[in-house]
Amino acid sequence: MTSPPELPRLDDGEAAPAAAPPPVVAGAAPSARQTQKEATRNRVIAAARELFDTQGYQGTTIREIARHAKVSVGSVFTTFASKYEILSQVMVNRLDGLYAEFDRVTPHLRGSTADRLRTIFAVHFAFEARHKRLFLAYIAATYDWTLPPTSMPMGRNRRLQDVICDCLEKGKAEGDVNPDVEAQEIVDLLMAAYVWIYRLAAWHDADARAMTAIMDRQIGLIAEGFKPR
Amino acid sequence: MHIATIQAADQNGAKAPTRRALAKQQTRAKVLAAARRLFSEQGYEGATIRDIAAAAGMSTGAVFANFADKSDLFREIMITDMVALGEDMRAAAQHGNGVEDTLLRIFTAGYAFYQTQMPLARAAFSVGWSPDDGPALRGSPPVQVLRDLIAEQLARGVERGELVEDAQVALRADMLFDAYLSNYPQAIFENWSLESLQARAHSQISLLLAGARRS
Repeated sequence: MTSPPELPRLDDGEAAPAAAPPPVVAGAAPSARQTQKEATRNRVIAAARELFDTQGYQGTTIREIARHAKVSVGSVFTTFASKYEILSQVMVNRLDGLYAEFDRVTPHLRGSTADRLRTIFAVHFAFEARHKRLFLAYIAATYDWTLPPTSMPMGRNRRLQDVICDCLEKGKAEGDVNPDVEAQEIVDLLMAAYVWIYRLAAWHDADARAMTAIMDRQIGLIAEGFKPR
Repeated sequence: MHIATIQAADQNGAKAPTRRALAKQQTRAKVLAAARRLFSEQGYEGATIRDIAAAAGMSTGAVFANFADKSDLFREIMITDMVALGEDMRAAAQHGNGVEDTLLRIFTAGYAFYQTQMPLARAAFSVGWSPDDGPALRGSPPVQVLRDLIAEQLARGVERGELVEDAQVALRADMLFDAYLSNYPQAIFENWSLESLQARAHSQISLLLAGARRS
């Protein structure tokens, strides 16, 4: 978790059809344009990520992003509909790296269900604690209806929910989770605790360790509720 | 409103012309009513001071004479609502029977309060999550009252012997309050009915109380 992958997989671009032709066909015009567009997209995302981190989402303008990425303001707008869409893409890319790591790690987690959940969230906080203000801006923006509903609100991120759900199902199978509780309800409670901690962290400037400590207690309390009666 | 009156009187000395204070109060009320409507229709980000002034039939200057900025205006609306919400919740709690039932009544009163004004709830969440305005809203006294009301029910449960001595009241109250808030996205984005919200809240409350119950 200490190595945030610096190579975001750009698998989400509506601009890149899945069946992209092999670029080796020399001089094929659409391919060249495609590559060009892809390159612009990558540069905008990289520039935005840096600016958002240093000066915040609200404090960053599209114009600055364009200047930083060394592309024109116009080409930013032909690639992204809004600043919020750039933000969502930055967040999605970053989390993709995290989830790839989860896929590798979770099958090997040991201990009780509560302990496994604690590890999952601890990894999350360690990965994202530096960007907590950005996360808040991201959540706030999902309630902003002047923007098109382009992306997934953070708290409802399905991939994290799936990881937690798997963990709970495994607990049911192993007998430390009450088979009568509905996994999704536990997931929702955990997600509520999780996003709340970001807010707390941003306001009180807590680090990953402090965030993890609070989450550990909250998971303990929720675990009392899902243990077999 | 009271604050406005007092301030006006102070500024103008002891012999403050009541008529002027009254006029100022009316202006504020007009601005607040217009702002409430526009925030509901266009969200927090979509409503501008200029639009609000136009809807209230006055100049932007007149709006700024009464409110520092948009977030000041919004905060005042929120605080008015939170005070009313706190009263509704407290009234609902009176009829409760035991911790779980009382908490459910409190939550339900909250969802019922916002049921007819979900767009405003959405705007409140937008502001509540913003890194700049969030802390002020969440830390404001009327919001604290809501959280305290939850903690109070837990403390009573401990007194009555319904909950164990070591019920971790503060942590549990925070988590219950958060569970209460966590259902708003469903209400806002997926149009959940009051019954669905209530059913969801019920199982959340029961889960969060499980570890503290005296068995």
